Amino acid sequence: MSYFAGIDVGSLSSDAAVIDQDGRLKGWSVTETGPHSTNAAEAALDAALTMAGLSRDELAFVVATGYGRAAVPLAGKKITEISCHALGAYSLFPDVGTVIDIGGQDSKVIRLGENGRVADFVMNDKCAAGTGRFLEVMAAKLGVGLNDLGRLSLAAGGEVSISSVCTVFAESEVVSLVAKNHPIDQVIKGLHRSVVNRVAAMTGNIGIKPRVIMSGGVAKNAGVVALMSERLGVDISVPEEPQIVGALGAALMAAREAK
Amino acid sequence: MSLSAKARMQFMKDLGFPAMLSLAKATKGKRKPRKANPDFGPPLKCAARLKEIMTRHYYLSRFAPGARPVAWVTSGAPVELLRAFDFYTIYPENHGALCGAQKMGPELCVAAEEEGYSPDLCSYARVDLGHFFSGKTPAGKLPKPDLLFCSNNICQTVVYWYKVLAHRLNIPLVLFDTPFNYGEITEANIAYMKDQILEMIPVLEKAAGKAFNMERFMRLAELSKSTSQLWGQCLETMQTRPAPMTIFDAFVHLAPVVSLRGLPVAQDYYEILLAELTDRVERGIGAITNEKKRLMWDNIAVWYKVRDFSELFAARGMNFVAATYTNAWAETIKHLDMSHPWESLAKTYSLVILNNNLEHRLGLMEKMVREYAVDGLVVHSARSCKPYSLGQYDLKRLLSHRLGIPAVVIEADITDYRFFSEEQALTRLEAFFEALEAA
Amino acid sequence: MSPAQLPSRGDYFKQWRGGGGKVCAVFPAQYPKELLWAHGVLPMEVWDPPLAPARAQGHLQPYICSVVRQGLELLLAGGMDEVGAILFPHTCDSLQNLASLVADYLEPPAPSLFFYNPKAPFAAAAKGFYVSQLQALEDDLALIFGPAPEGAMEQALEWSRRLSELYARAYARRAAGELGVGAAEFYRLLRAGEYLHPQDYIPLLEAWLNEAPAQGGPQGQGILLSGVLPSPPDLMETLDGLDLRVVHDDLLSMSRRLLYPPPGKGGPLEALADCFLAMPPCSTRGSSLSERLEWLGGLAQSGGAQGVVFSVVKFCEPELFDLPELRRGLKEAGLPSLVLEVDVNQEVGGQAATRLEAFGEMLS
Repeated sequence: MSYFAGIDVGSLSSDAAVIDQDGRLKGWSVTETGPHSTNAAEAALDAALTMAGLSRDELAFVVATGYGRAAVPLAGKKITEISCHALGAYSLFPDVGTVIDIGGQDSKVIRLGENGRVADFVMNDKCAAGTGRFLEVMAAKLGVGLNDLGRLSLAAGGEVSISSVCTVFAESEVVSLVAKNHPIDQVIKGLHRSVVNRVAAMTGNIGIKPRVIMSGGVAKNAGVVALMSERLGVDISVPEEPQIVGALGAALMAAREAK
Repeated sequence: MSLSAKARMQFMKDLGFPAMLSLAKATKGKRKPRKANPDFGPPLKCAARLKEIMTRHYYLSRFAPGARPVAWVTSGAPVELLRAFDFYTIYPENHGALCGAQKMGPELCVAAEEEGYSPDLCSYARVDLGHFFSGKTPAGKLPKPDLLFCSNNICQTVVYWYKVLAHRLNIPLVLFDTPFNYGEITEANIAYMKDQILEMIPVLEKAAGKAFNMERFMRLAELSKSTSQLWGQCLETMQTRPAPMTIFDAFVHLAPVVSLRGLPVAQDYYEILLAELTDRVERGIGAITNEKKRLMWDNIAVWYKVRDFSELFAARGMNFVAATYTNAWAETIKHLDMSHPWESLAKTYSLVILNNNLEHRLGLMEKMVREYAVDGLVVHSARSCKPYSLGQYDLKRLLSHRLGIPAVVIEADITDYRFFSEEQALTRLEAFFEALEAA
Repeated sequence: MSPAQLPSRGDYFKQWRGGGGKVCAVFPAQYPKELLWAHGVLPMEVWDPPLAPARAQGHLQPYICSVVRQGLELLLAGGMDEVGAILFPHTCDSLQNLASLVADYLEPPAPSLFFYNPKAPFAAAAKGFYVSQLQALEDDLALIFGPAPEGAMEQALEWSRRLSELYARAYARRAAGELGVGAAEFYRLLRAGEYLHPQDYIPLLEAWLNEAPAQGGPQGQGILLSGVLPSPPDLMETLDGLDLRVVHDDLLSMSRRLLYPPPGKGGPLEALADCFLAMPPCSTRGSSLSERLEWLGGLAQSGGAQGVVFSVVKFCEPELFDLPELRRGLKEAGLPSLVLEVDVNQEVGGQAATRLEAFGEMLS
């Protein structure tokens, strides 16, 4: 039996996936990237290997992807997260048409063609609006844990509209809304709406083809997923581990390379 | 043009619209009137007439296709030429202002952004394109144009924007290219513009399906001139203390001179408005009750904030009495002279504020500060409008030094309030108020 | 002749000035360089001076593009203190106002010259008007720098024709896959025309074309590069690093103005007017979208491009307005495209590089 690994070094988290030659997921990990990408990549890989009960020598090929992919010396090949997300999502949902990935500093929408190939994609520009970073800044400002945002947003009775798109402007807007005693959960829902609108505006460029999959850390936020589904008027599927879709795709690429 | 469409339009004009309006009035009576704000004088009576005129204009526009040729026109284009052919004219910029005032800017902008238009583009254009893609508008429905009529005397942006419409609709785009006056206007520029006018007449004839009638053109050009002059006189009433209206009123009452110029209805309207303003001057009625300071506004309105700003300033006894923006539709009409129709039309439209150098603008503003006894200047830096905004930081510095008046820049946008930070603007305005009150 | 042998802008400027040469700083984009040459003036084009924005911030809002910002920064930093004049062609709203801001409010170190480019669709009157603009510019140049000597105008037109020929040869070899250099070297060589006098530049360009290898450049997917200018230089290196092959470009600073020589017939001013009117479709000229689409399709085909990369300067209205329709039309023609927003003074960054790389993966 030969094994393959994919490592996705993102700006916030480094994730790894290990598969066997039949494409079965044997182990995975989600770790913090921190200041040193190479160390983070190796730590993520080792954690995934531990779960799989394997060692590095048993890996036939490793592909690195993500923001820090260049800093992974043990990878035999580097492939962008766009191609890897497409393939990862395709392996989980063979009928996938569109992947929406909202990560820490990037958000991207990928439309898939045949066999998990990328037909078209769009990525946010140099602006934190519509990324996980935007929500992270706002959560910190509101004194709410990142993992609690979704729950609070879903339970909100109403919604306070956030007009600013700029992270800096939105921060001061949020402060003044809270000072005016708007309920925090409703402000959070408004912030989620802002992220959703920003990302949805990107989808127009390439069109939405069902089935739609959301991946990335923000896909764990059920509040954002619900609003996105409402905004696009389509059902959205979220993989069990939305953060490892890129790493999984990279592992599948590794298996292809070895052939 | 089809006969039945013409008959239908005539019917809607004579009977349909009046019937709709009386119905609207009957139901409106039940609405609670807004509580009077003690900072303001009595509201202008002709506001109701204005609303009726503009509602009618947008309402009837949907019956125009087939009955009359329809043109979409930029706010600075020589519409007198189109009037001679009886075009039904729609002003996307006026529609943009309307959408902005109804706070629909972001929604329509997003509709354009979803089609790939960058959020960094002019929001009038994004609102218009967003409306074009989504069909959303507070005006009910806008008629599809047969022709696009565009002049770059206000910006190059309109050329880029109308090019998109021309491509999508596959209709002619007529451009009136008005060379920017870096210094004084030159004979070569005038000759170039005159030649273009002569060249576009056959194009308009073809689109309208009728021959150009010089006599009719001259009559309508005179009507346009007297309308703009009446508008200028309305603005001049604000030289008195207290001023009988505020610039925030003028932003709204500007609509007919922009989009119905050259039609009798616009001229009639400004006669009524001028009479009312003159009467207020005679009776000493001010737009705000306690006019302590008089201000000037630079750039297009912040449409979604007109009411809020008007209340904010009125509460401090501050009244805006002049604006480069409202002035633009009165300032150059004096050049129009039917003894030299083409040269004078070229000059009228080439000498508008945005087609001229910044020295010209500074001189104009200095003159306005003196004539209107202005105490302070509020400069709206409009993200949408580069020709109006680039240079404003220095304009403000120079004007404030030369005349010794306080001035403030607020960063905002004309319709897209996603790019407006209320907190930041208010902080700057507070500092400005302090400076003004200390002066 | 290797790129390393090219004199830098700064060195060349010093050398030219040291010899008593006259210089005119020129803002983007299209202008009659031949008139300046005829008056013995070296045009130094100001597209993307590599300065940290500092002084310009006090004069420009944050929503003004980096080309305008960097140009003003150069002026305010003293970079134009030794020029004899500053020329502002009419390219867009921002450059229009920058011209007026500098001339009217900022007390520039040299007199300002203006040049209005008529806008498409060109009226019949456009040619006569363009000639009148040339005459006015010539009068201004004569006033500042003295009259052009006899025969100088004809000489300038000859240089211009020779340069267009050399540029066209470089483009043709690249499109045919017979120029073994990457985008970084190609544009470094061709951009030297922004500051070298034709007398010095023509022999350098000739030597480079004669010595440049036929093989050895990037071998990957062929792309057509569109936008305002090949900057930041970092972007060209990124393209080379990803093995993406630029087969042709539709850049305002390059093929939208350099490949079209003034025709040989008619008087010199008339020839320059014909030259301007014959330049390819361009957003800043107001060309229609169908013209631009047809043109882009032709460029892509001539070099066998598989995709189009639009490198757009952030806040550049003329380019940004055309993009959605161009992309839609190209897609219908089977040409995928990618948009990168760039600032001329900033590095490309990992995110943009990733997008380019993914675009290459998508094309393969």
